[in-house]
Amino acid sequence: MSSNFRSQLLVGASVLASLVLVGAYLAAGGSSYTPKQTQDPCKHRQWTNPGSLQEIAQQFSLSAADGAACELGVSREELIRALPSEEARQRFLDEYDIGADEFARAIRAGLLRAIDDAQKAGALSPLVAGPLRATIEQIPLDQAIELVEDASSAFETFQNFLGPAGDLLEEIFG
Amino acid sequence: MSDSARPRVAALALAVGIVLADSSIVVLALPEIYRELDTSVAGVTWVLISFNLVMALAAVPAAHIARRVGPGVAAAVGLAIFAGAGFACGVSDDLTTLIVARCVQALGGAAAVTAALELLPATVGSEKRAAAVWASAGATGAALGPAVGGLLTELVSWQSIFLIQVPIALGAAVPILGVAKHEMATRVIETELRPAGRPHLAANIALAMVSAAIAAALFLLVLLLIEGWRLTPIGAAIVVSVMPLAAFAGSRIDPFVPSAKARAAAGAILVSGGLGALALLPKAEVWLTVPPQILVGVGLSLVLSALTETALGGRAPQAIHGGWTISARHAGVVIGLLALTPIFTHDIAEQREDAIDAGTAVLLDSKVTPLLKLELAGRISDQLDEEKGKVPTIGPAFKPLPSDPEQRAQVETLRDELQDQLDRGATHAFSPSFGLAALIGLLALIPIGLARRVDL
Repeated sequence: MSSNFRSQLLVGASVLASLVLVGAYLAAGGSSYTPKQTQDPCKHRQWTNPGSLQEIAQQFSLSAADGAACELGVSREELIRALPSEEARQRFLDEYDIGADEFARAIRAGLLRAIDDAQKAGALSPLVAGPLRATIEQIPLDQAIELVEDASSAFETFQNFLGPAGDLLEEIFG
Repeated sequence: MSDSARPRVAALALAVGIVLADSSIVVLALPEIYRELDTSVAGVTWVLISFNLVMALAAVPAAHIARRVGPGVAAAVGLAIFAGAGFACGVSDDLTTLIVARCVQALGGAAAVTAALELLPATVGSEKRAAAVWASAGATGAALGPAVGGLLTELVSWQSIFLIQVPIALGAAVPILGVAKHEMATRVIETELRPAGRPHLAANIALAMVSAAIAAALFLLVLLLIEGWRLTPIGAAIVVSVMPLAAFAGSRIDPFVPSAKARAAAGAILVSGGLGALALLPKAEVWLTVPPQILVGVGLSLVLSALTETALGGRAPQAIHGGWTISARHAGVVIGLLALTPIFTHDIAEQREDAIDAGTAVLLDSKVTPLLKLELAGRISDQLDEEKGKVPTIGPAFKPLPSDPEQRAQVETLRDELQDQLDRGATHAFSPSFGLAALIGLLALIPIGLARRVDL
């Protein structure tokens, strides 16, 4: 084998090995990665046939987070990560240069949007929705945040409070 | 070679090996230094850049000085400076001191390495044999550097990487002291000076470009393994050992292909192919880095030896031309790191945010109960804060797992999905830099091709 042929063989084999490996990685999806996209919080999400109180509360929380995030111009995911603790909330406010009042207004707006969404989906009766709206306007920020985090206890309280009278009124007014 | 010359050859080879290993030995320690000295990724990169930059600038002047004062004196003094500065690196507790000490270390290293090439012909009997010993000692040091650095970082500390060099460098200087004493006594050096010819421009430019690509391969891969995929330094050292092993295997090809041009071209293509594959990793799995590393390892052995051989071939004095190759290689490393660091630090920060949002979206759309979702969101938020600026390990945020088997299974699936989003995000963040490094490697084919007329 001449040295010229060995040279050509070496270069050819190098080109082939490189192309095969790059091709294999491309075929295996090497260039296809895109992170799971977060949705626009201002776009209304479809409620999925809410059955139990748990499911209603979950979709209510997500709707409220969407509404508040839309008001603040951030993603729902960023807002949710800011809710669980005072420190996380402060980091979030500092990062986006949002004032405490603006934040409180956005949380309340989010909760009101969630009530609207729940009503439209038939998950919340007007008898519960009305007092809930009034309550949201009055409660302190911490309680409003708790409501975003878990609305099930509030729904339970309202339903227990209205009791049999509520069922009767609901039957009369729908 | 006489028996009396052997210790001196071994000492010179050790000196070259340890100095050139220093160019890459800290790569695996960078994440540890980054954490301990509380600095930024861009800041810690200067621990690597400073050494290579000073080596690039000082190699040729150091070779001239070595020829004036005597290579024995230059090598002994260079090794003493290298050892002293190594000690200063080992005891430094802030980034500035560490970087300054690294610069001084490189000055000593440049003197020792170029002087060694001037001393070797008289010791081994011929310039060709001297060049081969010098090149292989340097290649061995550079190839073993990252793995040794990783082991020391994991088993002892990052400081031990520098402290262990002190006795080794001083030990290597001992057999050279005899030559230094003789030079000082006879002062015969100046009368032996020969004019230095022009450096081989094409070979040195190609060396610089290929070195930039190789440095990127090593540096980016280590960061991907440790910072992106959270391997320990020892784990990463084992993984990146594939490259020197492949380089060793690749060096066996040299005797079968006499054409340096063909070896240089094939090597550059393999390095680029490996880097291209690293840019297209389909999953965040360690074994997928092995085939690209094999290509890079075989490629680097072919291209570096072919280009160094060409740059030194038939040129005198060897020390000056060796200085040019050292300068070109280290300049390439610096250019590679300076060009790519801003790209990948920006990309990693951006991808981290995207991956965290994607992970939270996975969490919110999951089937776990709302209370648990929000509790997990809180724990993840704390975890992110704890591992600020890095790709987080999400596992601890999910502990303790729920006792209910159904919920436990849901949470485990969610945790894996979330970590997958983060890992894939981290992997993807390195893709543009690997891609650019592959392009630099391919562009080295231009000077390799242009060198036809000067018989590369």
